[in-house]
Amino acid sequence: MTVAWILRRVRRQSVSARRALWAAAGSFLVLGLVSGATVLGLRATRGWMNTVGQSVHVIAFLRDDMQPDQAAQLVDLLQRRPGVARARLVEPAEALARLRDAARPLPATGSWLDDLEPGYFPRSIEVALVASADLSQRATELSRRLRGLAGVADVDAMTNGVARLAAWVRFGQRLGWAVVLAAGIAALSFLVSTVLRGREARRRQAQVLVLLGETSGNVRLPANIALAAAGLSGALAALVVLRLAWPALLTVVERALGIVPTPAGFFLGFWESAAGVLAAPMLGWVLGYLSTPVPGWVDA
Amino acid sequence: MIWLEGVSYLRAGSPALGDITLGVSCGELVVVQGPTGSGKSSLLAVAAGVQAPDSGAVWIADHNIVGLQASSLPYVRRNVGYLPPLPMLISDETVLENIMLALAVRGQPIDSAEADARETLAMVADSAWENRLARSLSTGQQRLVALARALVGPPPLVVVDEPASGMGGDDREGIARALVWARERGCAVLCATSDPSFAQTLVDVGGRQVHLEGGRIAGAPAIGLVPTPVQFPDMDMGTLKGVRGEQSSPTPYATSDGVREPEKADSAEVIQPADRRSSGEESS
Repeated sequence: MTVAWILRRVRRQSVSARRALWAAAGSFLVLGLVSGATVLGLRATRGWMNTVGQSVHVIAFLRDDMQPDQAAQLVDLLQRRPGVARARLVEPAEALARLRDAARPLPATGSWLDDLEPGYFPRSIEVALVASADLSQRATELSRRLRGLAGVADVDAMTNGVARLAAWVRFGQRLGWAVVLAAGIAALSFLVSTVLRGREARRRQAQVLVLLGETSGNVRLPANIALAAAGLSGALAALVVLRLAWPALLTVVERALGIVPTPAGFFLGFWESAAGVLAAPMLGWVLGYLSTPVPGWVDA
Repeated sequence: MIWLEGVSYLRAGSPALGDITLGVSCGELVVVQGPTGSGKSSLLAVAAGVQAPDSGAVWIADHNIVGLQASSLPYVRRNVGYLPPLPMLISDETVLENIMLALAVRGQPIDSAEADARETLAMVADSAWENRLARSLSTGQQRLVALARALVGPPPLVVVDEPASGMGGDDREGIARALVWARERGCAVLCATSDPSFAQTLVDVGGRQVHLEGGRIAGAPAIGLVPTPVQFPDMDMGTLKGVRGEQSSPTPYATSDGVREPEKADSAEVIQPADRRSSGEESS
């Protein structure tokens, strides 16, 4: 059979089995969405964990009588300490400005904040620790040491909030995995059953073609090509949908969790996208092969 | 041409064919007539290369197809226009497409295949059916379409099993005319029927009758006429791979001109393909 004939067979089979092919393309779309969202979701939550870790501050509130050069020395000492990512002196004016920024979206906080003066707040040192599994313990240990220093009025380790957020993120990851697994299995099962449902019809068709002298490869080729095309279409559609929907979805989730927004342009890499776009038609090709049983000698 | 040599075939453990030797030359019409269960369909299925015999040799264009590897059989089958006992059509394809498929596997260009398919359909059945789906046809109509598919081209070897089964007078005459048409174009035509009157019709138009009873040829001689130079282009297209040592050559056989010494079949594993395959026109 020539290339022109094979393309004709693909076209005719695609028309006669268009419902099955649409269903297959839809399954590939769902599989693509699930796979892509899994990769992106894992990356986003890992980023959140890092952000949470980097944002952890042990806050040491300084006494009013502590001199600025003493505070600067203390910051310098803390920055040299292993496990400390960053130590920074926060002046009262900056603390008030942050409070006003944080309270702005909230209703009915207006006038009393305006009346506050910077002098109301103590000077403080914010310490960010390097993220690791024992972050909470290290934050507690550091705060214990800081409490013993002269000039330090109070220390807030903030470990409870961090641990709670981390627990929620981990729970979300596990829940996500369960959803991903269920969706993946459902999509794959639907795809396989859709393809195999047409197996009997394709077997009869193959029997006729074998009777006419067609080679096994060419008998299978139209189904291989049609399902590979369905796979390619589904994968490309999934890529486009993810590209359009993912940033908006991520923004909604991050806003709901109150997490610092992920930088713009966060998406799958070129090679990841290419691997997905290639894997789907390959799977389609294999399914086309499996769904077309070709007899050797024909039982006429 | 085709030459069956000592062919035996067991169906579900009991012998359906016993030591059959039969030849059909190019431009010859052979009618195998016998009662139901005499082994006609088994004989034709073996001759068409769709069923493997248990013993014996089936020589087509001087290749023993029994010794060929499975991957080589398609190149043999595309030289055979075969009408099985039950018409096997692709049910969700049109009549015309079903007929064209026989030419598709031979690599004929689509336009000329369409013209040839229309011509053959008009000769065998009704050209008004061409756009109907095969599943919308009655069994008799499907049989005529399958016959048209077997004759389109026409291929060097035509093997038709009960083509007139359940057909009326006009259709039977049309079928006989179509078989004669194929024979006149140099095809070796092998037809099986259980209907003595249809067999007589074919004998009347120059066919040679062979009686089959209990899986054995009875009565008339089973030896073919003088073979004419044979053209099996599509078998040259393919790479025919045989099992080493089993591709010997057909034994000499008697003809009306004496004893024919068949050309030696190549005993090597691979018979090199001809030009069309190397030109890239063929996709497999």
